[in-house]
Amino acid sequence: MAKSAADWDAPPKFPATHYVDSRIYTDPSIFAEELEKLFKPSWIIACHESEIGAAFDYRLFQHPSGVPLIVVRGDDMKVRSFYNICPHRGNTILYDPAGNARRMTCIFHQWSFDARGNCVDISRAEQGYQDRFRKEDASLREVKTEVGYGGFVWVNIDDACGPLKDYLGSAMDILAPYMVEPMEVFHFNRAIVNTNYKLWHDTNSEFYHDFVHYFNRITGMMQPGYFERKYTAFPNGHATVGSMNIQYDKYEGSRERAVGWPGLAPGGWYMVDLFPGMTYNLRTSVLRIDTAIPLGPNRVAIEFRGLGLKSDTPEQRAQRVFDHNTIWGPFGRNLHEDLLAVHGQGRAMREGTDSRWVIHGREENSTIHDEVGMRHFYAEWGRRMGRAASDPARESRQPPARAAA
Amino acid sequence: MEQRSQIEELVYRSCMALDERDFKAFLDLCDPGFRYKVTVYSPEIRKEMVWLDHDRKGMETLFTNLPRHNSDHSPLVRHATVYTVKVQGEEAEVVSALQVFRTALDGGATELYGVARLIDTVKLGGAGPKLAKRVVRMETRQLGFGSHIPF
Repeated sequence: MAKSAADWDAPPKFPATHYVDSRIYTDPSIFAEELEKLFKPSWIIACHESEIGAAFDYRLFQHPSGVPLIVVRGDDMKVRSFYNICPHRGNTILYDPAGNARRMTCIFHQWSFDARGNCVDISRAEQGYQDRFRKEDASLREVKTEVGYGGFVWVNIDDACGPLKDYLGSAMDILAPYMVEPMEVFHFNRAIVNTNYKLWHDTNSEFYHDFVHYFNRITGMMQPGYFERKYTAFPNGHATVGSMNIQYDKYEGSRERAVGWPGLAPGGWYMVDLFPGMTYNLRTSVLRIDTAIPLGPNRVAIEFRGLGLKSDTPEQRAQRVFDHNTIWGPFGRNLHEDLLAVHGQGRAMREGTDSRWVIHGREENSTIHDEVGMRHFYAEWGRRMGRAASDPARESRQPPARAAA
Repeated sequence: MEQRSQIEELVYRSCMALDERDFKAFLDLCDPGFRYKVTVYSPEIRKEMVWLDHDRKGMETLFTNLPRHNSDHSPLVRHATVYTVKVQGEEAEVVSALQVFRTALDGGATELYGVARLIDTVKLGGAGPKLAKRVVRMETRQLGFGSHIPF
C-alpha cells in the first residue's frame, strides 16, 4: 500500500544510526556549518606531487571550505600552500590553474611573493607606506601542507590541526604495499553535478549500487569472491574495502588487465574512503583519486585523477589509460552511470521536493552490500556536527568534536 | 570541387548518424581500419590526455554494449562546419569545427554541451570517401554528468 503524508514523514523503521534526514543534503545552514566543522579542520588532497615536479611549479586548488589555494614547490623543493589572495586588496594572485612562477605577482598593483610566502616587492612602497608598512608585513597566509600516501599533497587550513598521519590513522595501511613506487597523474577532469557532495561520497562508500553498473555486475558481482569483500571502518570516518579478483575479460570489449600493479594480485581492487570526501580507488592497473569539492547544498565539483607509475613505458602507460577510460574516463561505462545516479538524487532531493529520509539499513556482516560504510561516515558526521544526521534540526548541546588524534 | 563536397557530406553524415544514434550508419561510413580517438589538453596537469581510443571493432562494441548500460537519454545534436580539406593522394585530412548541443527530454531546454575540432583522415577511393581516422580534439573538459556516447 502506498504511503500517506504521515507515513512518508514518519522516520524509517530502523535504528536512528541507519537512516538520515534528507535535509542534510539540502539545508543551506547545515551546509555552511559543514564547511566550518567538517572541511576546514580536515586534511584534504589538493593535488599530486607529479603535478608540481620542478622548483617553482605551482597548482591552484579550490579548497572545499571555499578558500582558494596555491600549492607551490619552493626553491628548496619543499611543497607549501598559501591562500591565493593578495594581502593588499584581496585580489587573485595566480590565475592559471598550473604553471611555474619564480615570483608570484599580483597583476593589480604588482606586489610580488616568493615560493616561501614572503612578500618580496611592494611597488612604490616607501612613497606610499613610508615606514608604517613593509614587505615583512605583507606575507601570504600559509596553510599546513604535507606530502604522502602515494605522493599526494594534503592541505589543512586549521593551524591547530594534528599531523596527517594522526588524521588518517591506519586507514591507508591496506594500500601501503602498493604505494611504494613513485606515481604520476595522467588524467584529470572535473565534473560539476547538481547534487550534494555527501551523495557522491556515499556512492563511493557502498557497493550495493553495483546494480547500476553492468560492467561491475558482469566482472564482479557474478564472479567468485565478490560477496566476501568486506568493509573495515576506521576512526575519523574513514573506511576501506577489501579486494577480489575482478574478471575484466567477462565484459565484451574489455580484457584482462595484464599491465597490473606492483604487488597487487591480478584483478585486485582496493578502495579507501576518507572523510569527508576523498577516495583512493586502486583497480588493478590504475589508481583513481576522487576529491569532492562542495559548491553549495545541491552542487558539487568532483575532481578525478588517474595515475600510473612514473616508471611506465609508453606501452604500459597507454594500456593504463585504456583501462582507465573503459570505465572511468569521461565517456567510460561506469563514471557516467555513477554521476547520473547522484544527479538523480540531487534532482529528487533538492530543497522543496519533500524528500524526507535516506536509508542506510543493510546489514550483511560488513560485506560488500552492507551499508556500514555510509553509517560509519554519518556517525563521524554526527560527532563533528554535534547531532545525529537522522535528526539534524536538533540544536547541538555539545561543542563540535575535532578529528581524533 | 565535387570531391570536396563528397568529403564534407561524409563529415556531416557522420554527425547526423551519431545524432540519430544510428551507429550502424556511422560505422558504414568508416573504413575497416577506422580508428577513433578523443584527445584533450589539461591546463591543470599540463598534459595531453586521451579520453577514448578505439579501433572500429572497439567502437562497434562500445555501441552494442550501450543498451546494457544506464545512460542519459537527452538527445545530442552535433553542428559541424568543415574548415579545411587537404587532399594528398588517396587521403584527405579534414578539419572541422564541432559544437554539440544537449536538449533535455523534459521541457526541451537546449544547452551547449561541448566544443571540439574534428580532425578526420578520409580515405578516398572508388566506393566514395570513408573515415579512416577521427580525432576529436576536445576544448570542453567539463561535461557535467557526462554521456556514454562520444562526440
